[in-house]
Amino acid sequence: MTFSSKSKYLFLAFCLLPTFLLFLIFTVYPMLGGLYYSFFDWSGTSANKTFIGLDNYIRLWNDSIIKKAIINDFFFVFVKVIGIMTLALFFAVALTQLKIKEAPFYRIVFFFPNIMSVVVIGILWQFIYDPNMGIVNSLLNQVGLTDWARPWLGDKTWVLPSIAIPAIWAGIGLFMLLIMGGISNVPKSLYEAADIDGASEWQQFWHITVPLVWPQIKTSILYIIITSLNGSFVLVQVMTGGGPGSASEVMGSYLYQRAFEDFQFGYGAAIGVLILVVSLITVLISQFILKKEKVEY
Amino acid sequence: MKVVSQILVRIPLILWAFIVIFPLIWMFMGAFKSNAEIFTSPWSFPTDFSFTNFERAWNDYNIGRAFLNSFFVTVLGSFLTLLLSIPTAYALERVRSKFGEVLVNVYLASMMIPSVLGWIPLFFLLMKFNLLDNLWALSLVYAISHVPFTIFILVGFIGNIPKELEEAAVVDGMSPYGILFKIVTPLIKSGIMTVTILNAISYWNEFFMALILLQTESKNTLGVAMNLLKIDAQYDSAWGVLFAGLCIAVIPVIIFYSIFQRHIVKGMTEGAIK
Repeated sequence: MTFSSKSKYLFLAFCLLPTFLLFLIFTVYPMLGGLYYSFFDWSGTSANKTFIGLDNYIRLWNDSIIKKAIINDFFFVFVKVIGIMTLALFFAVALTQLKIKEAPFYRIVFFFPNIMSVVVIGILWQFIYDPNMGIVNSLLNQVGLTDWARPWLGDKTWVLPSIAIPAIWAGIGLFMLLIMGGISNVPKSLYEAADIDGASEWQQFWHITVPLVWPQIKTSILYIIITSLNGSFVLVQVMTGGGPGSASEVMGSYLYQRAFEDFQFGYGAAIGVLILVVSLITVLISQFILKKEKVEY
Repeated sequence: MKVVSQILVRIPLILWAFIVIFPLIWMFMGAFKSNAEIFTSPWSFPTDFSFTNFERAWNDYNIGRAFLNSFFVTVLGSFLTLLLSIPTAYALERVRSKFGEVLVNVYLASMMIPSVLGWIPLFFLLMKFNLLDNLWALSLVYAISHVPFTIFILVGFIGNIPKELEEAAVVDGMSPYGILFKIVTPLIKSGIMTVTILNAISYWNEFFMALILLQTESKNTLGVAMNLLKIDAQYDSAWGVLFAGLCIAVIPVIIFYSIFQRHIVKGMTEGAIK
């Protein structure tokens, strides 16, 4: 820039400062504050705030519900990564490589659940699973599998997979689009050369498509892990509130209940820190596993 | 052989399209049905298309009010996000410095940290400022939460603007503010569109911040109101009304999406993740 340095700095301050200040107040402060509050026993009124050191964390260590919640969180992470990536990759390849005329129709339809609110999705699927008026049981009854019909969300063994299905349902479109973006960048000549060499479509998929869209696949997997650990609770809270018992509890729903329903804000803050730690460790480990040299073309 | 594989590939595609569409059709049909119809004939078309359920959801269950509140928060939040992000993105892209790099990394890092961690302090911060139950404050919280993401998308678009344009404007005596708002901002219109569409959809759909930060029923946004409607409908057995409420929450996004879906796809495939 060719302005005098004083007006240049004024301009930069104008551009950067207001945003950064608001960011400090509404993003950085709450995150550091979350760490700070986790060392207190606190019911929300400032008079009742007592410093208790690591007691909240010791309590977490002995809390059997939080253990269940972490396991459930990882169940969602695992099932979502496998379910979403398999289907998204399949659909992305099918819609880009296989000259399907109605591909734009599928692309629009498959992305559609991504624009819906998680609350709406949760309520809708709660209905779908409803023992009396839901279409799942109604369908099972119609095809004669009456024994299979059950209150899906009220059943301790079936509640987790039942919540995972709408989570996958709602997630595929976005990742399909990301992978399609990756595939569109792969030079066509590679496939033409492979055709001439007589490589089957399956071989082309494994030896050309997967390595070349690996950056998109990797980004997608990491993104699913992060959003799952930080966001699964919305669906859980709407559909079951963590129940029956604590069968579908995840870390986020447990935090919400402890803090905003039972007013144990210090303990809730400690759960928040736990979510952060678990997310960071999981992302680091996954990054290590997914590490693969970047392919040049 | 080709024909067989073409058919085989279409089976999962058609199946998934059905799995996506059917629940939505079921929801729309349910919105026109009476309770009895919902129970006895879950698969059939409604016998008469009356809008009673929609009227009841809109008037008796506060969905109308919530709709307007969501609209307000979405528009104001999207506008504030741009107001906060465009200058920062411009400064960060055009003035390369140590400080700028640190700032970029701080914004980037904040995207990786679960927002759940900040809920409790944020709640008490807004309480201290008397900003709980305030739609302006909620819009601001939304806007700031999406600032990092918006900056990253816009930096890419600003990077594509030829520097010569700005240099010519400087020669013509234009101030940096003029360059930012009169030259750069119009040139990144397509980036602004993409990012605003994505922001607006997430503000319209947001649930948890609104649940925590809003308190009175007249302030509720659609997400919170839908959750309440679900609980009320269970007591009143007003299932058709609940379906109608779901439709009211989804229809605007469907319309918005049909108009702008090209931009979403474009932004997604050309934008941030390369």
